[in-house]
Amino acid sequence: MIDNKTFLVAGIIIAILIGVVAVFLASGDPDGLESTALVVSGQKDLTGLSPEDGDPEEVGTGTFAYESPMPDYSLGESLGQMGGLIAIVAGIILTLLVVLGASYILKMSRKGSKT
Amino acid sequence: MHIPDAFIPLPQAAIYWIIALVFLALAVKWARSEINEDKIPLIAVLAAGIFALQSFNLPVSMGTSGHLVGGALAAIVLGSPFAAVFILTLVLIIQGFIFGDGGITTMGANIINMGVIGGFVGFYSYQGLLKMIKNPYVSAGVAAWLACLIPALACAVEMAVAGTFPLVPGLVAMGIYHAIIGVIEGIVTAIVIYALATARPDLVDSSIRGTPA
Repeated sequence: MIDNKTFLVAGIIIAILIGVVAVFLASGDPDGLESTALVVSGQKDLTGLSPEDGDPEEVGTGTFAYESPMPDYSLGESLGQMGGLIAIVAGIILTLLVVLGASYILKMSRKGSKT
Repeated sequence: MHIPDAFIPLPQAAIYWIIALVFLALAVKWARSEINEDKIPLIAVLAAGIFALQSFNLPVSMGTSGHLVGGALAAIVLGSPFAAVFILTLVLIIQGFIFGDGGITTMGANIINMGVIGGFVGFYSYQGLLKMIKNPYVSAGVAAWLACLIPALACAVEMAVAGTFPLVPGLVAMGIYHAIIGVIEGIVTAIVIYALATARPDLVDSSIRGTPA
């Protein structure tokens, strides 16, 4: 059985490997929700291919808009797949740190701790 | 199935946020009582892995792709649906604010669908199936399929309430696409649980290690 540290390191490596493979192999097709948006707005058949220039947000009714720093897990067209790699790895590490931090804070905030 | 900001009007988005915050408070309560030194690496690795898997859009034919959600995985491995709410909420916050994947106003709805519904459907269908078929991996796989499909149907209903999708075509399309995505979710969930149970049997929920594979 592997110890906590090895488990954590192995887990991070596997997560990063999945993310790296995703940058190169992930499908560019819209996801299930976007695809449904294309279907209900008449831009796509239920079982047909998705249009290259389809706009799933056409059906939107909301008004709020937010600009994220790394939209669509990329750093923009110019950096291409390298930008995608940086974005994914940064996201995985950030997720790990945020969850580690939140877990430690919650564990410490417990009064009369059992451990 | 990350709902973007444009898909839900603000008043409805606010209601989903309020419901999500109630479950989030319960998830924080779960975390405070259950998290210990040994579970922290597992929770962190699950979150990082779920983030990575969610970025991997797999082709599911019909011009559509899908990625795993991971709610069932988190809930089954950690033995509580609130574990899924806890992990998925943090993942969704990072996806929404940093990567524009899923909206900010709609984050409440996304937490409800993937964290709450995904976690509860995944956890309780796993428990029920385990009693019937006794195999934790098959049970987890089927539970994960349900935990992908049912949140997608809930999402279609929310879209209909929002006036974004008509109800029946939305349910049909979301249902078909996520029934296929769910098969991949089920297989990956079973494999990951098997791998975790092999690497650290002491960390996974007792229902998994209690039954011989």
